Amino acid sequence: MDRQISDRNILDAFCEEFCAIIDKYCQYIVVSGFLAIASGRTRGTEDIDMIIERISRDKFEALFRELEYHNFLCMQSASFVEAYDYLTENLSLRFTKKDKPVPEMEVKFAKDLLDTYQLRQRIKLPLTGLKVWFSNVNINIAFKEELLKSPKDMEDARHLRIVFKEMVDEHEIKEVKKMIRELRL
Amino acid sequence: MRDQSHMEQVERWANFVRDNPTQWKKIHTKFINALFQKNAEVIQRLLQQPNGKQKLIELYDIKNVEGCEWLK
Repeated sequence: MDRQISDRNILDAFCEEFCAIIDKYCQYIVVSGFLAIASGRTRGTEDIDMIIERISRDKFEALFRELEYHNFLCMQSASFVEAYDYLTENLSLRFTKKDKPVPEMEVKFAKDLLDTYQLRQRIKLPLTGLKVWFSNVNINIAFKEELLKSPKDMEDARHLRIVFKEMVDEHEIKEVKKMIRELRL
Repeated sequence: MRDQSHMEQVERWANFVRDNPTQWKKIHTKFINALFQKNAEVIQRLLQQPNGKQKLIELYDIKNVEGCEWLK
């Protein structure tokens, strides 16, 4: 879809810049709320959630240094060693630009088969106009309807079901919900 | 608690996005950018308060305070 650069909002620009760096080092997916927002849902958020494949400390050091070089700041620590420990303990790292507290990118390692499945099924979504890998729409709907379930999440799921009507696959949603019950609940 | 009318509004807007692929983004971008503009204005006001910096460190749970150029 043709779109003017000026149509990109602050979240879009932040996300694309961050993802372009991550993409050099590992597989990643943007998940949850930002997928709905990038697909047109009108609600606010300060953070974008990202899952990355598990990488070695050496590779992470190079990634961390490049993020710093591009003026991204890790909110928890300036030390890549400490930051890596967060990831290995399945905690999220939060990155912002050095000159602004928001938006922020919350980065986690893939922690189980469900995350690995999401990484394998990743897709790009032309409707968003973004050159970013997203977790697939059916998986996101399943997470929001089966695990997260807040009014905001149910509205996100409804939005996704309408704007991506042709991509919605009830069989896959049902299978992912089953995996969520087995692995997360 | 949000009622059914809110979900109906979500559905109306989602249908607009679906049916107007070249129109929704401009409206949406204006909305998202306005939220961040408001946030930036409040942060500037907070930074002018005596305990504003501390409030922001707590608000954003910042441990790497030295690295935050916007707090200086």
